[in-house]
Amino acid sequence: MRRSDEVARLLPGPLRALVLTVLLLIVLGPLAYMALASVSSDLAVARGALWPDGFHIDNYAKIWSTTNLGRGLVNSVLVAGAVAVVSAFVALLSAYVLVRYAFRGRIAVLRALLALQSIPGTLLLLPVFVLFASAATALGVTIIGTRWAVLVTYLTFALPFSTWVMVTYLRELPPELDEAARVDGASPWRVLTRVIAPLSWPGLVVSGVFAFLLGWNDVLFASVLTNPDTRTAAVELQIFGASQEGGALPVYGQLMAAALVCAVPVVGLYLVFQRYLVAGLTTGGVR
Amino acid sequence: MFLPGGVLTLLVIGVPLALALYISLLDLDQYSIREWVGAEFIGLDNYVEAVRDSHLVHAIGISIGYSALVTVGCLPIGLAAAVATQDRFKGRGLVRSVLLVPYVLPAFVVGSTWRIIFQPDGVANEVLGTSGLWLNGPRSFWALVIVQLWAGWPLVYLLAAAGLQSLDTTVHEAAALDGAGWWAKLRHVILPQLRGPVSLALVISFLHNVNSFTLPFVLFGVPSPYDVEVLPVLTYVESFQNFEFGLSVAMAVVSLILVAIPMAAYLRAVRLDTGRSRS
Amino acid sequence: MNRRHIGALAAALLLGTTLTACGSDDDPASGDNSGVTLTMLMGVNNIYPEQQRAWFTEVSDKFKAETGASVRFETFASANDELTKIQTSVVAGQGPDVYALGTTFTPTAYATGAFVELKKEDWDKVGGRERFLPATLGISGPDQEHEVGIPFASRPFVMAYNKDLLTAAGIDKPADSWDGLRDQAKQLTKDGTYGLAIGYADGFDPWKFIWAMTTQAGTPVVKDGKAALDSPNTKTAYQAYLGWLATDKVVDPAAVGWKNAQAIAAFGEGKAAYLPMVSASSKVSLDKSKVAGKYAYAVMPTIPPGATSLPSGGVAATSILSGDNVVVAKYSKHKDLALALVKQLTSEESQTSYYKTFGELPTNQAAATALGSDPALAAIVESAGRSASTPFTGGWGQVQLALTNVVVQSIPDLSAGKVDDGKLTGLLGQAQSTAQAALDKAK
Repeated sequence: MRRSDEVARLLPGPLRALVLTVLLLIVLGPLAYMALASVSSDLAVARGALWPDGFHIDNYAKIWSTTNLGRGLVNSVLVAGAVAVVSAFVALLSAYVLVRYAFRGRIAVLRALLALQSIPGTLLLLPVFVLFASAATALGVTIIGTRWAVLVTYLTFALPFSTWVMVTYLRELPPELDEAARVDGASPWRVLTRVIAPLSWPGLVVSGVFAFLLGWNDVLFASVLTNPDTRTAAVELQIFGASQEGGALPVYGQLMAAALVCAVPVVGLYLVFQRYLVAGLTTGGVR
Repeated sequence: MFLPGGVLTLLVIGVPLALALYISLLDLDQYSIREWVGAEFIGLDNYVEAVRDSHLVHAIGISIGYSALVTVGCLPIGLAAAVATQDRFKGRGLVRSVLLVPYVLPAFVVGSTWRIIFQPDGVANEVLGTSGLWLNGPRSFWALVIVQLWAGWPLVYLLAAAGLQSLDTTVHEAAALDGAGWWAKLRHVILPQLRGPVSLALVISFLHNVNSFTLPFVLFGVPSPYDVEVLPVLTYVESFQNFEFGLSVAMAVVSLILVAIPMAAYLRAVRLDTGRSRS
Repeated sequence: MNRRHIGALAAALLLGTTLTACGSDDDPASGDNSGVTLTMLMGVNNIYPEQQRAWFTEVSDKFKAETGASVRFETFASANDELTKIQTSVVAGQGPDVYALGTTFTPTAYATGAFVELKKEDWDKVGGRERFLPATLGISGPDQEHEVGIPFASRPFVMAYNKDLLTAAGIDKPADSWDGLRDQAKQLTKDGTYGLAIGYADGFDPWKFIWAMTTQAGTPVVKDGKAALDSPNTKTAYQAYLGWLATDKVVDPAAVGWKNAQAIAAFGEGKAAYLPMVSASSKVSLDKSKVAGKYAYAVMPTIPPGATSLPSGGVAATSILSGDNVVVAKYSKHKDLALALVKQLTSEESQTSYYKTFGELPTNQAAATALGSDPALAAIVESAGRSASTPFTGGWGQVQLALTNVVVQSIPDLSAGKVDDGKLTGLLGQAQSTAQAALDKAK
């Protein structure tokens, strides 16, 4: 293991240290400012002061009662997690077809997937709402206000990208792999789940992570499609930034504190999934 | 059995999009929205108005210009980060996660923070030794580039890093046997292998910037200063402040088409969609 | 895809939405309402978050005791959120039953035709039109026969001033003309403190100043469907407003980047003597600042720039008519219950308790009269009575945006310490045509 590490080294040690130092400075500078602001008073943040005028660590306590941040986080994890899993899975299916089967319009479909990335969210807000409202009436069920509504909407935006990522990764796998399996008499389903999926972990994780982030950060759709019980953390977070008309300041300190708290689960998630990315690497190395 | 994926994709994307296109042909405003299907069908009038009477062309220029700059800027930073975090070292997991934080912060938090940093008497002027305006006037364009760059580069990093990790170790071994230096190895062996994921990251980054609404909205407010009057903010204002829904959707469609053209050229050039370039 | 297919699809969808709208079973406010839940949308209050939640529960409990139905509250975070929510609900024909809207949104809401116009019997169901302060009814509808908005809270704008700084400069009371205020501000500007704190980069403040000055000058920016953004008085107003920073130098140069919040912060630091265009809700922030106990509120000047007395035709407006109106959605299946809820919310008792909790002034006449005797509130209550409403047109949102845009595009010059006359004229010309086009579209 050690030896192969040596062989795989990409950068000389000092250069790597330099690159990382610069990058961390760029990233951490504004983050440090946010951290300082998160323990400042609202007035100090509004004034643009760099150093806190006191240590208002209670901002971190207050955020849990100013809005329902706790429930928001749970909702966000549920919705974003479901979007991640569903879109990674569906993307794997579609991408497999797009990569392995030649059919008319395949290239057009691929291009369309990317073109769909250029659709602005504001364009689809009204249509989506109208669709849900009418479907609900037709089926006699409630859709708007449920987590399903946001889930399906996020799939709209996540699927094209996830599919693309999977196409990129599946293309790297030699066709001989699944051909061999098929010759052995495995069904396409079996080939996909036993041969393809284990080899495309990095792709699955990347498309899952992106779908997750999409659900995690969206405010536009979540603010309209959720109700107080199903609101996501991003919507709850936005409330901190609201100022009362004609006067009282936004609760800036709490906004920064809440934002940092909301970043923690995502960072944690990435730490966890690192292992899978590495696992993908090892599996790839076996062949 | 692969049908459900395709059908679901088509359903959740196609139907709302078709509705949106239909809306762009209607004289739909606050007075007609309640009975929106009854709104007058005016054909392409909205498109004519968008091109002739609004700031659409100017906004498209700004949007595409800054998005291209940000995308190009993301490339070296993202690649450097991916390469530097590929080698094993203590605390690598943490560094990798921290580098992602700008990307996972909600846009309006990023916007609020940088808005304070860029105040005339704020931290930016202090650190850079400059004075004056960053959030209006000619420099605002660069403020937008800087902030989007800060928030957006981890995308390239993430995809490049995933690409690096799926590289075969034999690649390294072959390079080591050749006795290639780190730069030669990187330049001639490693980076070419990352073409797929990195080209994809660039496309996504570009489109993400073209469509980015919340960040410029929070950073500059509405009405936008002229130099940062980007497309999504323009369509948003038209839709949600001026209540010209038909016009607003038409603008979005025009932009979609205008973005699709260079995109198609790019896709053709990098052969991202056919995957035929490598053999 | 061909158009007819899309049309058919759209028609099918419409059928769905209209079914929602028509399937109403009008419940009377009396009778069995158990199991019925009304939804009300209002702005989130992040200064008093716990109090607001407690208030939601209290309202719902009380309503349940009286009618058997409960109330569920939904909140929006910002004006943009609010508009998005209204639009989507209007187009889908479903959503909250009752909305609390900012007063300046009432014309927009009216324009959609999606909200209940109050007939005599509807007003009676909310306790009678006469229970409200007459001034607060000014923006309920285009005329008395077509009113949709029921006044719920009043938030007039006033000006805060630093008592210590004024005393030190030998000024005994705030000026009543804008020119007088400018002269006092010059006197007050020294040693790093400035006469005025102004949020030039705010998305809403600028138009309120211009609106006030032009209304006082007798040439309102909109009158009888005609825009007057290119009139000499409008230009004078902009010159005065921008001149405070550019030529009079009575505003911190950093204010070119300030929103309302930063202006409040500067005043709270004791770095500005006057803070115009704030409402009573600024009290919460200021009482936590360095100037706590050292400031007071006064009404803003009512004599326009360049004048020493109110010109003929001028209206001595102290503020735009500001606050919240309540509207009831036409698609609501429980109109009578909704009106009963409004009745409960606008009763003297509820309004007094609402003021005590959130600091927003009552619109209920009896409650407001009782408060007027409190000297600390004198200026704010006075301003409430002397507020004038913005024009009732569906195009107002665009006029407002055009007014603000002139300031936004002037900021680079402002930062360089000048107001370019030619450029200002050009911007006003553009604003005029945008505003007039919006007014022409109004139906």
